[in-house]
Amino acid sequence: MFQQIISWSKDMFRWKKSGKVFTPQEVEGRSWLKEFAQAPATLIFDDFVRIYFSCRPPADENGQYVSYSAYVDLERGDLFKIREVSEKPILSLGGLGEFDEFGTYPVSVIRNGDEVRAYYAGWTRCESVPFNVGIGMATSHDGGKTFSKLGNGPIVGYSPDEPFVLSGPKVRRFGDRWYLWYIAGRKWIMADGRAEPVYKIRMAISDDGIQWSKVHQDLIESRIEEDEAQASPDVFYANGKYHMFFCYRYSSHYRSKENGYRIGYASSSNLIDWERDDSKAGIDVSEDGWDAEMISYPHVFELDGKTYLAYLGNQVGRHGFGLAVLDGELK
Amino acid sequence: MKWKKIGRIFDPTQYQLPNNCEQFAQSPQTLIFDDFIRIYFSTRSVDESNGKYLSHIAFVDMNKNLRDVIRVSDKTVIPLGKLGCFDEHGIFPMNIMRHGDVIYGYTCGWNRRVSVSVDTSIGLAISRDDGLTFERIGDGPVLGASLYEPCLVGDGFVRVIDGLFHMWYIFGTGWKKYSPELPPDRTYKIGHATSRDGIHWEKEEARQIISDRLGDDESQALPTVIEIDGQYHMFFCYRESFDFRKSKGRGYAIGHAWSDDLVNWVREDNNPQLEGTPGEWDSEMQCYPHVFECEGKVYLLYNGNEFGRYGFGLAELEV
Repeated sequence: MFQQIISWSKDMFRWKKSGKVFTPQEVEGRSWLKEFAQAPATLIFDDFVRIYFSCRPPADENGQYVSYSAYVDLERGDLFKIREVSEKPILSLGGLGEFDEFGTYPVSVIRNGDEVRAYYAGWTRCESVPFNVGIGMATSHDGGKTFSKLGNGPIVGYSPDEPFVLSGPKVRRFGDRWYLWYIAGRKWIMADGRAEPVYKIRMAISDDGIQWSKVHQDLIESRIEEDEAQASPDVFYANGKYHMFFCYRYSSHYRSKENGYRIGYASSSNLIDWERDDSKAGIDVSEDGWDAEMISYPHVFELDGKTYLAYLGNQVGRHGFGLAVLDGELK
Repeated sequence: MKWKKIGRIFDPTQYQLPNNCEQFAQSPQTLIFDDFIRIYFSTRSVDESNGKYLSHIAFVDMNKNLRDVIRVSDKTVIPLGKLGCFDEHGIFPMNIMRHGDVIYGYTCGWNRRVSVSVDTSIGLAISRDDGLTFERIGDGPVLGASLYEPCLVGDGFVRVIDGLFHMWYIFGTGWKKYSPELPPDRTYKIGHATSRDGIHWEKEEARQIISDRLGDDESQALPTVIEIDGQYHMFFCYRESFDFRKSKGRGYAIGHAWSDDLVNWVREDNNPQLEGTPGEWDSEMQCYPHVFECEGKVYLLYNGNEFGRYGFGLAELEV
């Protein structure tokens, strides 16, 4: 069996795992939140940290899921203390035939003056392949509790070089420009009778967060195979450069430990040209436990002088997400 | 202005068609050569996996008298899109335009959905062999759903006017279930976009440029534009969004609007009016219009009953 061996470099980051911080199965009284807490994204308040995630009710009679996004508020002084979980999904599903009819997952949030904006991926179901995904936008005027969509359609559309599956948006602002990292589907491959998407990390730039210009290039070179799928491009600025943590997997049989998601790393001085060096990422699957088979969907945030990494464990977050704390600095 | 009807000029059931297609010659679109006219159309094969239709592009070359068929294409003009792409399940229609030494084909690509039957987007393919075959510029579309045009972007018609590319196209305003027993139906309206290069487009985002005659539930399709004596004329087809396939008086008819500035359009369906001829091939329905000029005359190609199952016909404008 092929092993994803990484030779760690000596200047790799040292992440100390703190454990799983949120388990969706422990939440009661919400029919739409039974399992999965995927793609954590933070919004920091004075005395708590709001972590958005995406979750699902049980699958329907055909084994099909819909996905919603929600949040959990954690005590700022102790991130292992849950203050509350959102009463309702933060976003409604789209209408009949719209791009986000069957899921609004994942979300990336950012403050813009008094409002909070969410960039999210909307899911629809197709006949020949299981789904397609587009990127939408919604705004909140109640501090990020509920969001209303800017329109019924996507804010970033498909193009000749990005034909389908635009997903996993992560929005950032550096200087006076807006940046959106996302993944774009390259092809569907058939593996064991099932269509599986191959996607690569891409980006777009905007002056207002609404009109986006795509950069039209792959940012991260593929390492483990040509059809490597890359996701969750999470960019953080520290010590004079941009750091990207992301996750990657093999194109087929990726629900196994051997071919499943791992966390990669790249850095850049200009946000466009990235140098991949997974040996610096400094976090891998555990020997046993909730993150022993795969780790994915990294999200880096800084809080009270510490740098944290939120991430998913086995079965792409079916049982929740955890935290790691950086020993040292990102440089 | 008046249409002089010439009658049906092409019946697909009388010819061998490529891609195992049978019946249907929908949405005729012309490419004019020195000594003949190539008319592209969409025809249909059956998807063996589920019995559903797949639309393919084919063409017929006709003498400039628009009566005599020279030949029908016997090869694939453009293959359907790859797995999961916007044009995987059909191309219908393809608008044709000469541009420099090459020919642009703006495709309306179809892909099937689960909760609704289909979605569409507009792609661009280029021919470097006089329109015999076309190659996509990429697997994805040049124009698709956007913030306020949530679905069903299609039927692009492109012309360069004063150095600027103009596209008239349709966008879906939404799907609706009119009856609990029946699948949902869609409504679409005509919009407009411009471009410097024919690839990167700026929409007028959800501005419906042609007013409704039948109200909110009017669907408008297949815009085609021509300049006549310094004025722009658009022909299109329109119908009720629900129960339009078989019910008399609810199916497609040809609409018309004119404009002096390409911004404001005045709808005037009855000048010129195209009427179906009782007992004829276009008695119940007239749809998918295409206007073009050839040797000083303005012609209209259009489909008749059953959305063009039995071909297309011709009318000539009398000013």
